[in-house]
Amino acid sequence: MRPKLAYSFPEEVLEHVFSFIECDKDRGSISLVCKSWYEIERWCRRRVFVGNCYAVSPATVVNRFPKVRSITIKGKPHFADFNLVPEGWGAYVGPWIKAMAAAYPWLQEIRLKRMVVTDECLELIAKSFKNFGVLVLTSCEGFTTDGLAAIAAHCRNLRELELRESEVEDICGHWLSHFPDSYTSLVSLNISCLGNEVNLSALERLVSRCPNLQTLRLNRAVPLDKLANLLRGAPQLVELGTGAYTSEMRPEVFSNLAEAFAGCRQLKSLSGFWDVLPSYLPAVYPICSNLTSLNMSYATIQSPDLIKLVSQCENLQRLWVLDYIEDAGLEVIAASCKDLRELRVFPSDPFGLEPNVALTEQGLVSVSEGCSKLQSVLYFCRQMSNVALLTIARNRPNMTRFRLCIIEPQVPDYLTQDPLDAGFGAIVEHCKDLRRLSLSGLLTDRVFEYIGTYGKKLEMLSVAFAGDSDLGLHHVLSGCDNLRKLEIRDCPFGDKALLANAAKLETMRSLWMSSCLVSYGACKLLGQKMPMLNVEVIDERGPPDSRPDSSPVEKLYIYRTVSGPRLDMPGYVWRMEGDSALRIS
Amino acid sequence: MELQLGLALPTHNSAEEFKLSKSKQIVSSELWRPSCGSESGKHVKHKRNFEESFERFLKPFPLLVWSGQPNEEDDRSQKVRRNIHTPNENRSEESHLVGWPPVKSWRRKELHQHHPARGQIRNDRIQANGNQSRGPNSLYVKVNMEGVTIGRKINLRLFNSYKTLTNALINMFAKYQKSEEAGESYTLTFRNEQGDWLQVGHVPWHTLSVCRSFIDTVRRLVLLKNGSETI
Repeated sequence: MRPKLAYSFPEEVLEHVFSFIECDKDRGSISLVCKSWYEIERWCRRRVFVGNCYAVSPATVVNRFPKVRSITIKGKPHFADFNLVPEGWGAYVGPWIKAMAAAYPWLQEIRLKRMVVTDECLELIAKSFKNFGVLVLTSCEGFTTDGLAAIAAHCRNLRELELRESEVEDICGHWLSHFPDSYTSLVSLNISCLGNEVNLSALERLVSRCPNLQTLRLNRAVPLDKLANLLRGAPQLVELGTGAYTSEMRPEVFSNLAEAFAGCRQLKSLSGFWDVLPSYLPAVYPICSNLTSLNMSYATIQSPDLIKLVSQCENLQRLWVLDYIEDAGLEVIAASCKDLRELRVFPSDPFGLEPNVALTEQGLVSVSEGCSKLQSVLYFCRQMSNVALLTIARNRPNMTRFRLCIIEPQVPDYLTQDPLDAGFGAIVEHCKDLRRLSLSGLLTDRVFEYIGTYGKKLEMLSVAFAGDSDLGLHHVLSGCDNLRKLEIRDCPFGDKALLANAAKLETMRSLWMSSCLVSYGACKLLGQKMPMLNVEVIDERGPPDSRPDSSPVEKLYIYRTVSGPRLDMPGYVWRMEGDSALRIS
Repeated sequence: MELQLGLALPTHNSAEEFKLSKSKQIVSSELWRPSCGSESGKHVKHKRNFEESFERFLKPFPLLVWSGQPNEEDDRSQKVRRNIHTPNENRSEESHLVGWPPVKSWRRKELHQHHPARGQIRNDRIQANGNQSRGPNSLYVKVNMEGVTIGRKINLRLFNSYKTLTNALINMFAKYQKSEEAGESYTLTFRNEQGDWLQVGHVPWHTLSVCRSFIDTVRRLVLLKNGSETI
């Protein structure tokens, strides 16, 4: 019998071997080998990733993994980013922090995404974990600068404090002065989302006394004429997000700034540039060739100024930019940035009916031709063609993330007036490692047939205003073996596809459907028959059982869970219960 | 069992297996992939392979058998297509589709709090285009005149009183006016940060005291024809 072999290893040896295995997936596999491996693995697991805070209870995690040092938890559905999840939906981190405060005194790292974090949570974090080092809050809300002050005051070993696109109520800019004078361990500080002014002298003192500071992302309220001083205090910076990049044009401000930038030899990443005044941009030219990451997506400057900047950044790997870059700018990037892996082009005027810039599908085609390492794309534009998508697919079979947003919904190929099925079909067919895909434009069920047939590695799919019938959804659910997250809005997909693939939902993290054709009756059936799923109907019009079973639900969020119903549902969320229905039958 | 659902519900007859499957779900969704099982199956001959062990999870478990004829007896999809899908032809900044285009609400707030004026001139100073910048030298707000479809953005920092501002606006819009409207008098109204519409003059233009001045609070401007009731 094989188990004997396993017994011949002392536990300590196995534990040591396991410690080299970092990937969550591999750790999961290890725990499935046998009981003793399961036990050894759970005692030496240091990092846990919870992709959905309602898929498992804090108590379960804490019981299974007693020695966790680092945790990542994600909350609301992705569509919350676009205001599709009503206020007060949930994803409160409180129960997690309470459970961990009791169980993990040595917890060092907390990373949260789309969760509601209160000041009490932050205070509990500040007081409970003896050696706390990393707090990253991405798209979180519910806290104020008072909570941050508690973190600053108590976490003596804090290395990273990152507030990425979080909504922080900005009560007081003095929270920064709560870092004790003896505190010097900061490695990364991101306060770019704060609305109000911060205490500049406290910030300057903090920055200059932390010798290991590598990442500093300021907010819009930090004026340009203070930037030079901050940079002089931290010449070792690797990543910088500027504040407002504007000021009255004064030669001494410029030369001071240029000198400070030139002193930062390690700088590899630049962002910020709010309200940028183009005449100050030459201050960063001398360090452009070091940059691997440039985020100009808040910088409203026009193509010529952008081109002058990016054409000097020949080592860029990641570029985020507004569509002011235009096709001409993307052509320059294609010619000069040969190492580019990720490109995001955001719309400067997403609500305008007419194009305000000369950006078309051609810009993306150029980049796909010139940048052979390109593998991740987010691109907003107003016209697309099948031939362009086919060219992109052939040029870049290495693409892993492809998100295309044609701003007007259901726009056909502008050359042929055909649906864009063939174009997106080419993307899934040629890009064998595609993991994430967002569709837009006029699409029929055909595109979903391509996706189901070829998208074997697809993990996340976003769909809007597409398809003709249940067949589209059926192709995806029955064909995409590795699909974990599916989000759909305004598509004529209904009960049949969902019910016929009910078991598939247990293999996925979540499914979001809003303004589709799934009936209340089908939701009830799913809830009854699939005990491992939480089937939540979101309807702000009132209780769904006041309407006929056949009427479509407003929004539907389905996720698998091992912890049963959640206890914090707001009044507009109804969970389709299994128990009562089972009793009836 | 008493359920009599006519369905192959997963029944956990072994506590051990239940524990296993449970742990699997908690930690690593990826393990559900059939590929993991088939690979290990090749190497471990004497053990049940993954697919055998978890057959019931991997098998399609339909609550309804796919007929191959979607939506055959209902025509709701077509209706919905018409109702939901038709993009609002008259999209204005107040009535665009919620959540579309998919720009993060965070980004919208940072960059598009005030939508840029339509038909803007591409060679405009760029700060006037994309955002409302409230820097020391510029304070751009959108301004419309009743009866004129095209809005503009102006830099309030270039003005120092209501009088100079009103005169400049009337001159700016003069070329759009029909001849019979020329010479009509206008009242300047503004929307404050709370979203209320007020007539100018209700608050001081600029003040250094604690009270919020016009310059601090103005978000949009509209010139109304005198005698007009609505905005």
